[in-house]
Amino acid sequence: MTFTIANTLADVLVALAAGARPIAGGTDLVVGARQGKDSLPETLIAIDRVGELRTIEAADDHTRIGSGVTHSMLVSDPLIVEQFTAIADAAALVGSPATRNVGTIGGNVMNGSPAMDTGAPLVVLGAEAELSTTAGSRRVSLDELWVSPGRTSAQTDELCTALVLPNPPDGAGSAYVRLEYRRAMEIAVVGAAAAVTLDGDVITAVRIALTAVAPTILELADLSGLSGRAVDESFFAAVASAASEQAAPISDLRASDRYRRHTIGVMARRATEAAVRRAQGEVIDVPVNRALGVGAAS
Amino acid sequence: MAITDLPEFIRADGPDKVTGSGRYTADMTLTGQLVAKFKYAEVSHARITNLDVSAARAIPGVFAVLTADDVPDLRYTPVIADRTLFARDVVRFEGEVVAAVAAISAAIAEQAIDAIVFEYEALPIVTDLEAAVADGSTLVHPDLDSYVITGDTPHEGNVATHSSIEMGDAEAAMASADVVISSRYVADASHAAPIEPRAIIAQWEGDKVTIWTSTQVPYDARDGVCETLQLPSNKVRIIVPHLGGGFGGKCGFHFEAHIAALAKAAKRPVKLVFSRWEEFVAPDRRREGMIIDVTTGVMHDGTIVARTGALLLDNGAYSADATFFPQAAAMHVAGPYKIPNIKIDSRLVYTNHQPSGSVRAPTAPQGCWAVESHTDEVAAAISMDPLDFRRKNIVHTGAIGPVGQTYDEIGLDQCLELATKSAGWGNELPDGEALGIAVGWWPSFAASAGAFAKMHGDGKVQLITGANECGTGSVMTLRMIAADELGLDQTDIELVYQDTAAAPVGPGATGSQTLLNHGRAVETASRQIADQLKELAAVHLEANADDIVLSGGMASVAGTPTVSVPIVELAAEAAEGDLLLGSASAPVHDSPELFGSTCLGDQDFASWLAPQFSCHVARVRVDKDTGVARVLQVHTAHDSGTIINPVAAHGQIEGGVLMGIGQALTEGTQYGEDGRQQNAGLLEYKLQTIADAPSIHTQFVEIFTPNAGPKGAKGLAEAPNVATAGAISNAVARATGVRVRQMPMTAERVWDALTTSAREDDS
Ligand SMILES: Cc1cc2nc3c(=O)[nH]c(=O)nc-3n(C[C@H](O)[C@H](O)[C@H](O)COP(=O)(O)OP(=O)(O)OC[C@H]3O[C@@H](n4cnc5c(N)ncnc54)[C@H](O)[C@@H]3O)c2cc1C
Repeated sequence: MTFTIANTLADVLVALAAGARPIAGGTDLVVGARQGKDSLPETLIAIDRVGELRTIEAADDHTRIGSGVTHSMLVSDPLIVEQFTAIADAAALVGSPATRNVGTIGGNVMNGSPAMDTGAPLVVLGAEAELSTTAGSRRVSLDELWVSPGRTSAQTDELCTALVLPNPPDGAGSAYVRLEYRRAMEIAVVGAAAAVTLDGDVITAVRIALTAVAPTILELADLSGLSGRAVDESFFAAVASAASEQAAPISDLRASDRYRRHTIGVMARRATEAAVRRAQGEVIDVPVNRALGVGAAS
Repeated sequence: MAITDLPEFIRADGPDKVTGSGRYTADMTLTGQLVAKFKYAEVSHARITNLDVSAARAIPGVFAVLTADDVPDLRYTPVIADRTLFARDVVRFEGEVVAAVAAISAAIAEQAIDAIVFEYEALPIVTDLEAAVADGSTLVHPDLDSYVITGDTPHEGNVATHSSIEMGDAEAAMASADVVISSRYVADASHAAPIEPRAIIAQWEGDKVTIWTSTQVPYDARDGVCETLQLPSNKVRIIVPHLGGGFGGKCGFHFEAHIAALAKAAKRPVKLVFSRWEEFVAPDRRREGMIIDVTTGVMHDGTIVARTGALLLDNGAYSADATFFPQAAAMHVAGPYKIPNIKIDSRLVYTNHQPSGSVRAPTAPQGCWAVESHTDEVAAAISMDPLDFRRKNIVHTGAIGPVGQTYDEIGLDQCLELATKSAGWGNELPDGEALGIAVGWWPSFAASAGAFAKMHGDGKVQLITGANECGTGSVMTLRMIAADELGLDQTDIELVYQDTAAAPVGPGATGSQTLLNHGRAVETASRQIADQLKELAAVHLEANADDIVLSGGMASVAGTPTVSVPIVELAAEAAEGDLLLGSASAPVHDSPELFGSTCLGDQDFASWLAPQFSCHVARVRVDKDTGVARVLQVHTAHDSGTIINPVAAHGQIEGGVLMGIGQALTEGTQYGEDGRQQNAGLLEYKLQTIADAPSIHTQFVEIFTPNAGPKGAKGLAEAPNVATAGAISNAVARATGVRVRQMPMTAERVWDALTTSAREDDS
């Protein structure tokens, strides 16, 4: 086995072309290998010291989050917290301080777990993944990227270099909440992200995506009927029932499908409520889970 | 009689542990050492049809492969000798060791494990406690009657022990009660889950073996090795490096003999380090599952007149030390109440699960959770406030308890008042929040324990004790006791501990006994040196030895501190003459007498020496949409006698409360249809984290307790683990209006109870 620490993006891409696997924080890869899920790859290229991957850059109409940005960086970045708040909500919940200090958004996305916390926020905020090889880059939607639990459509020589997000319009707000049984070292039992845009009291756009209720992150379909409606109880109730209906949860050690189907409605409603309040200009501290007492409440 | 003038607690092992310089067993390496691995049954119940290790033995780099054929053919265990080191003919739970390998590397050991041919014919499994005691059940031990069984241990079929507590005429009294309430509570099995998975190294020199092991009880480990490998006690030396927690999981004798036998066969030192999965499935110490049926008869004025109960406890496949559990559980279901008529039947039931054994306050969290939940149900049935109901019925000084024991001075009534006042019982709380009360008790155990003490010529002291530091800090407290006797600073005292070759025997870190038993031995051994010092000082100071006081490193005449001589001078003088040596053993007190009760299957667990009492009040918030409960505050009050070491005492309460929250809400073993554990890992077995910790407010009711530990102290390590789950249960019920009758009271179970009750309201 070889382990090489890359200093530049070019080094990484050459190594991938030669068959190496990227390792960022290693919090999925190494832990998985230790648990005997997959053995460690023969050749590893460490990407955590590549500066180009560790920046958050704002352009006029979009923002680029480098794949090597850690959860800790996301939580402490004012732009993310103000404009892409749902991502900060999610990053703040990941594992423990140690996990957040080394775990990256790129690793979270490319690991492809249906329980990944940054996935649903990225979906509702319209993110695309930028995949690069020595030959160039392409962008894919997350829907295209995630194929099944633990599998992505990226080629083995492709590095995820960034997540690219359109800048939210005025009157937008987002939030992510998850159901958790304890307040650290937890995996989402279910989770939901919401992004809404308001014009006064009227919803002009709403996207909702769900964590851990389907083989991949599930974006709620057919929400167009909710646009143009006023923010009221029936709107939130419609969100909750859409989430419960469209979810395809399984039963496992953490919860039964029945319980997941119920609680995903609760989470979708709470995420949407928090997103609306933020869109209305209210500051709700990150993460919403702690600020509003969701799941293992504050 | 609190000791107020002792210096602030200094943890001698603290710097080692927090800086990482401390050495745990897994950190050790001996020259030439081999790696041990076990072949486990990985099936819950089966008859072995073929076990062939010849291919494994033939692998280069494999030095030894052992099975039942390679060790003395005998059954062991403390009370019911139902266990063998290696499976013989039949395997009865997934973690049963079938064979053991010692090889030059982990990879080769693994390869050898894979090369072992282990074929079996599956047998029907016994996992349901009620089915196990029904007629015609498959028997886990069809030959139980042929085993060596000691003590008063009635057994039949799958029932390993049957105990009862009986006083008065429960049936008649129940018939005369105004209101009768029955409840059923079911507790899942749970785990000690120490952070250090166990490790063992064995090395032979001639006919003597030294074993480094992460055990809480070095003498039990030694005795287990001696019994199973048929060795004399002076040929086996157990050394315990720093221990990374135990919580009971590392009590008893486990795998030391396997590793010693491997080392002997391989003629090399052999080392075993458990994985987390092994730590979950293999040890015979986990907290037992339980079914508790309890009925109470009460008068409208709140007087309890009768209680009956029927308990089934999951023994697992082998008995370990669990034979006292039925009686212990019955005591907790009786509870610290004045109940004149009582009949509780309690049975320990064999199943094909991992064996149960003493985990921190065995049987108490479940028993207390059930009976304290039930107590609130009884109070509600007569429209009485839970606090007032307990005020009326709990035991107090001079009262007769539910087995006919009369209590000397005790402080449960004060605990109840202090904890409820601290929590603000009766104050209004936000919607979704509530307080819950539970009271609990736990005995102190007197056992033989010895200590040596020596003061060197430079005035420094070595204390040689059989006590074992499992993290509670109580061994560290022994320094305080010696320092107090000798008028020295704690830092003048060095501990020599966790080595059976050096120290006299003692119970080790089990049953909250360190201070109680080892502490008394240390106190007496130190006092012997103190007396010698006083004799020497008397000559110097021309005073009577009885008038000499030792304090601040000086021996002086009482009342005249200026007439003094440094202790170090006396020590130097003694080093040239009569050496300053102490050696003592703690007297074993008799248990208090019981009047008016009869106990079938008596396991010495009905009469309680120096009982400890507690009241915990939990403030809980329940998210009713999801059923997630969060404990916001826990207010505790404990009567553990004199508190010698307040810092460590608070630490024990805080740890006990957190462990109790885990049991109450998130920690429970989940079994598959095949009887095997499905969540044998720290991702799916949900311990509480520090981020979940509530604020914990503790008060001690300090009553000098005669016949207890040094300076009137009782035990404290298990007591805080008794009442937390019960308090949480009552808070959840008050916050939601529904009862969750299975522990852990997971979010989904709370939600289930809420939706079931909503459906019933609708219909
Ligand atoms: C204790 C603990 C708690 C956790 N809690 C949570 C939690 O609450 N929520 C949650 O979502 N996750 C959690 N995780 C999982 C994990 O921490 C996150 O998914 C994290 O973001 C992974 O990032 P990483 O940099 O460590 O990934 P790595 O382990 O380095 O990589 C993960 C996978 O992605 C690939 N990869 C990494 N970077 C790239 C890239 N730029 N391009 C292409 N492929 C790449 C790797 O080859 C590997 O297959 C937890 C993990 C642990 C150990």
